[in-house]
Amino acid sequence: MASVALSEAEKVYIVHGVQEDLRVDGRGCEDYRCIEVETDVVSNTSGSARVKLGHTDILVGVKAEMGTPKLEKPSEGYLEFFVDCSANATPEFEGRGGDDLGTEIANTLYRIFNNKSSVDLSSLCISPREHCWVLCVDVLLLECGGNLFDAISIAVKAALFNTRIPRVRVLEDEEGAKDIELSDDPYDCIRLSVENVPCIVTLCKIGCRHVVDATLQEEACSLASLLVSVTSKGVVTCMRKVGKGSLDPESIFEMMESSKRVGKVLHMSLQSVLHKEESLGPKRPKVGFLG
Amino acid sequence: MPGDHRRIRGPEESQPPQLYAADEDELPAARDPTRLRPVYARAGLLSQAKGSAYLEAGGTKVLCAVSGPRQAEGGERGGGPAGAGGEAPAALRGRLLCDFRRAPFSGPRRRAPQGGGEERELSLALQEALEPAVRLGRYPRAQLEVSALLLEDGGSALAAALTAAALALADAGVEMYDLVVGCGLSLAPGPSPTWLLDPTRLEEEHSAAGLTVALMPVLNQVAGLLGSGEGGQTESWTDAVRLGLEGCQRLYPVLQQCLVRAARRRGAAAPS
Repeated sequence: MASVALSEAEKVYIVHGVQEDLRVDGRGCEDYRCIEVETDVVSNTSGSARVKLGHTDILVGVKAEMGTPKLEKPSEGYLEFFVDCSANATPEFEGRGGDDLGTEIANTLYRIFNNKSSVDLSSLCISPREHCWVLCVDVLLLECGGNLFDAISIAVKAALFNTRIPRVRVLEDEEGAKDIELSDDPYDCIRLSVENVPCIVTLCKIGCRHVVDATLQEEACSLASLLVSVTSKGVVTCMRKVGKGSLDPESIFEMMESSKRVGKVLHMSLQSVLHKEESLGPKRPKVGFLG
Repeated sequence: MPGDHRRIRGPEESQPPQLYAADEDELPAARDPTRLRPVYARAGLLSQAKGSAYLEAGGTKVLCAVSGPRQAEGGERGGGPAGAGGEAPAALRGRLLCDFRRAPFSGPRRRAPQGGGEERELSLALQEALEPAVRLGRYPRAQLEVSALLLEDGGSALAAALTAAALALADAGVEMYDLVVGCGLSLAPGPSPTWLLDPTRLEEEHSAAGLTVALMPVLNQVAGLLGSGEGGQTESWTDAVRLGLEGCQRLYPVLQQCLVRAARRRGAAAPS
């Protein structure tokens, strides 16, 4: 991740502030920074979203392609994740520098979606054993300002909500040759239900307390973090300890309780924002990158 | 290999024969959820490695070797305030490079030696779990290489690799705060899901969720945690972590004895 040089005095200041539930920018320990979400920003994709969380900027594009189902799951489609850490985000990502972080994030995304209930994969099947939809989710890291995993999971959820997969029909000839027919109406598509798509909540251990949505400076003061992926119903799909330090078992239990609380609030506000944006219709003013 | 269609008139595509094999409807037998499989551990068996360890738990066999400390690759990094206890400043601290590999014959289907994504993820998990235990500040500008090779996967492979790696580091004489003990868990699905400690491969295949915990027993600090799947609410995962930590504490005396035996062997073999 991007690193920032902090003096000992600054670290002590941050740690003491967190003890008193007061962070450098005035937030409490469980408050997120202001999050801006916009969907449908890229026109060549089946779905896209852009999330700005403080100084962290993520762009996600989802493209639906036709592929063959996997051998173990013949009547389901699947998702593929690719993460690209652009050199714009921080100079450390120049050349191959961002590859390690990109693979780590992609592996985490595979892990959080690796269960039956997150996305209804059987709706992505066209004809069993032969054709299915493969959703290629491409994540682009434009700017790194701390708390990457949370922002990326919010962007992925928003992009999947925005994804429109064209409706196809499989026609069979007399000889048995199959032909795939695309519907004539360009607006006739299937939408994915993102009710159970999880969001990642990263809790950084600073001193004796933990904070949600750490900035780069706060991440430099924290030795260990717990990454929990929660759905809107409070079901946990993935848990991971990140960082060089170790965690006390009691703080792990406390962090898991917090993640459930914080996750519920995050999901509720994200759902309401996404529905509100959709209700504005296709004629809404688009903010894009210049707003 | 591209098909040689001029001489061999066969089908264009082929499928592995397992698809057509009869479904093995073998369900894992019911058992006590807190049982740990008997563990065989031996340290100091490879002559070419600085430290090594072999761990066998049920059907899982892991071999781990440690080499180093040697000079770290990578550019010059500046200094900073020195840490306590004569340790190097943060920028000059040593590095731990971990590599987790599965042998091609470790699972039911052959895997190519270049595993790719999953092995990178598990190597990172190994590194994140071992770093809290190793005093890297005492090895400035050096790197320690830990490589774990899974010979046979009989369930809880990552946990076994973590334990073997910690034993190998201790055998190499690397300065550590404490040993790291790993324990695997899996959630058996059904009307009343229960977490099973130290699952076998069959139990893992039929599970709804899996979790690996790594504990430093004396300090009582969790060094690593990796879990995923449909585990249910946070209470269920909390119970799983508690069960895992208990399992790690029970495993610790076995590892202590293994290290004592290895030290005695080395002492007896050394020319006096």
